[in-house]
Amino acid sequence: MKYLEIEHMKKTFDNLEVLKDISLSVEKGEVVSIIGPSGSGKSTLLRCATMLEQMDGGSLSYLGERAAWEENGKCVYAPKQELKRIRKNYGLVFQSFHLFPHYSVLKNITDAPVSVDHVSKAEALERAEKLLLQLGLEDKKDAYPYQLSGGQQQRVSIARALALQPEILFFDEPTSALDPELTGEVLKVIKELAKEHMTMIIVTHEMQFARELSDRIIFMEGGVIRQQGTPEELFGSPDERVKEFIGKFQA
Amino acid sequence: MDLALMVAQLGEGMIVTVEIFFLTLLFSLPLGLVISFGRMARHFPLRTLTKIYISVMRGTPLMLQLIVVYFAPYYVFGLKISASYRFTAVILAFALNYAAYFAEIYRGGIESMPVGQYEAAQVLGYNRMQTFCKIILPQVIKRILPAVTNETITLVKDTSLAFVLAVVEMFTAAKQIAAKETTIVPLMAAGVFYYIFNLAVATFMEYLEKKLSYYR
Repeated sequence: MKYLEIEHMKKTFDNLEVLKDISLSVEKGEVVSIIGPSGSGKSTLLRCATMLEQMDGGSLSYLGERAAWEENGKCVYAPKQELKRIRKNYGLVFQSFHLFPHYSVLKNITDAPVSVDHVSKAEALERAEKLLLQLGLEDKKDAYPYQLSGGQQQRVSIARALALQPEILFFDEPTSALDPELTGEVLKVIKELAKEHMTMIIVTHEMQFARELSDRIIFMEGGVIRQQGTPEELFGSPDERVKEFIGKFQA
Repeated sequence: MDLALMVAQLGEGMIVTVEIFFLTLLFSLPLGLVISFGRMARHFPLRTLTKIYISVMRGTPLMLQLIVVYFAPYYVFGLKISASYRFTAVILAFALNYAAYFAEIYRGGIESMPVGQYEAAQVLGYNRMQTFCKIILPQVIKRILPAVTNETITLVKDTSLAFVLAVVEMFTAAKQIAAKETTIVPLMAAGVFYYIFNLAVATFMEYLEKKLSYYR
């Protein structure tokens, strides 16, 4: 089953066409990495897919349910209540975490399940404890975000997203705000999620990581998908531009 | 005039001062939040209207506003003004005036919030009300506390303006005694009272700031 399906997605900011015509579908359990130079539209694609940004054209569906589609040349979104339900299908991990600074680690993880999904407090607590253990944060549950390293904060934000038990997890450059040492601990967590067959879409500049982990890599440039395929196909690409880009990161 | 009598007379004024202070805060703090929403509204006429309101409230003397609020029922609606309306008019004018200042403080705090907090809340599924009440407002309160302290301290001293509507708060009482007894002592006593009151306000606000310093 197609967990995510994007067809002909378009997005323009002030006459600048950031996404030209993006079609992309992701199957259950697939790990897809999106790479490409800055300004290629990777983040915008993620923001449109997670509905933080409204797209101008094309369609978007999750698990077969339509969130947005085109009607008479205009993009229309499903009614609010439906969108609310569709949103439950995915979580998003931000580049700069965006944890709630006034909540403890535990509260950051338990609050959304309780106040959004109406999960019982006990159940939310149980989920949180399990996630904290899994992500190696069991001794940090009473800490506040400012007391944690960047890597720990990012792991908390992953736990916060997972606590809502999404089907798909998006990552927007999850390690770009971290130094190489802390990057490792976050990548390790994402690799473990991949082993558990979590469906993931990851915008990243970590080429080696993308190569090891992904079922498919997408190379974006200038608002279009220039090439997509298995890591082998991308890393052995005959396309000069792709070669050049990947080569820079391997140097 | 003996000291006991003077203190008793000042004491009555003091109660009025404290009443004006607390009632003004009680009404202006929530009203300010409502006005700040209007000020930030997407709806253009509403936004412009609140902008003008704030501009007028901040741009004209509070003393004049007190007089306008007091006489408006008579001049605008031809109603007879009863004596008991004087105190009400004082609270009304103070609340309307301070709400304008508080609105701008709230706006500053709300607009300073990083957009990432809203986006994180949205992706997690919080609705707008939850996002504001649980995520944004608590952090805004921490940010605006020093500015609110400033405004609150000004309010303590502004209460003396109630004299224009012949509401005998402490400063008016002190002036009356000083004139009658030809002594400066009651005015000094009033000064000490304002200072102690503000010391208490500042101490309380500092306590709140400390309480909210558990996170950064």
